[in-house]
Amino acid sequence: MSPSPAPAEVGEIDIDDETVPDRPWIVLVWNDPINLMSYVTFVFQKVFGYSLQKATSLMLDVHEKGRAVVSSGAREKAEIDVFRLHEHGLWATMQQDD
Amino acid sequence: MARKRAFIPPIERVRDGYAFNIGDDERQLVTRLLTELSQLLMGESGDPRLIRIFPPAYHLADDADADAEYQRLMREDLVASRLSGITTVNAALEAPGPVDEASMIAFVQAINGLRLVLGTMLDVVEDHDPDDIGDDDPQVGEHHLYNFLSWLLDWAVRALSETVTPQET
Repeated sequence: MSPSPAPAEVGEIDIDDETVPDRPWIVLVWNDPINLMSYVTFVFQKVFGYSLQKATSLMLDVHEKGRAVVSSGAREKAEIDVFRLHEHGLWATMQQDD
Repeated sequence: MARKRAFIPPIERVRDGYAFNIGDDERQLVTRLLTELSQLLMGESGDPRLIRIFPPAYHLADDADADAEYQRLMREDLVASRLSGITTVNAALEAPGPVDEASMIAFVQAINGLRLVLGTMLDVVEDHDPDDIGDDDPQVGEHHLYNFLSWLLDWAVRALSETVTPQET
């Protein structure tokens, strides 16, 4: 499932000439000592529409492995996802997939 | 007919929405903290207490330019989103009856925002336990405040989760 935020909420960003359009961008959430496990699970459910099971599994990956890929796609979509995670206070970043 | 309960959670799902079962002093405390957070959000953009509120979007060194562009375009939206949420929460805390789901979602975001700032100031570590903080620690009060906010947040998430997924029994 994917979110459907209003495009107007996100500013246009020029696509870097050096980026390769074929490779998707991945959104990562990093472990941190502040965010509660229950809260992180809830945010994954709410922002991405993930099931409790999937959200819990991702949260545990973040907690135990230090980070997890929570979504992927075009750069614009990844930026929207990162922004929504930042709105909820999660430590989310993005990079182009290797 | 109301059942007699030994424990009333501070926040719970009720028929008409979500109820805050906390006292006026606790409501006022949260409102005061959120007002301070609003002032912080509208203040110096480089304030180190806000580092967790505004994380980088692009973490790779090669993407530094993209991150600068993201911060330039999105930071204002992030501040606006937080301020709007705080306004919603302060209104919800003054409401006499249950509040709606949107207000409770704004509440968890706002309380978590407070925890991010307070946790940054206290430099909290994994498995933070205020009981590990000595009474003579100059920040013992802030550690207990942080713990209080964690407790409230956890109950709010529990209440919200009852609508997100079927409750497991």
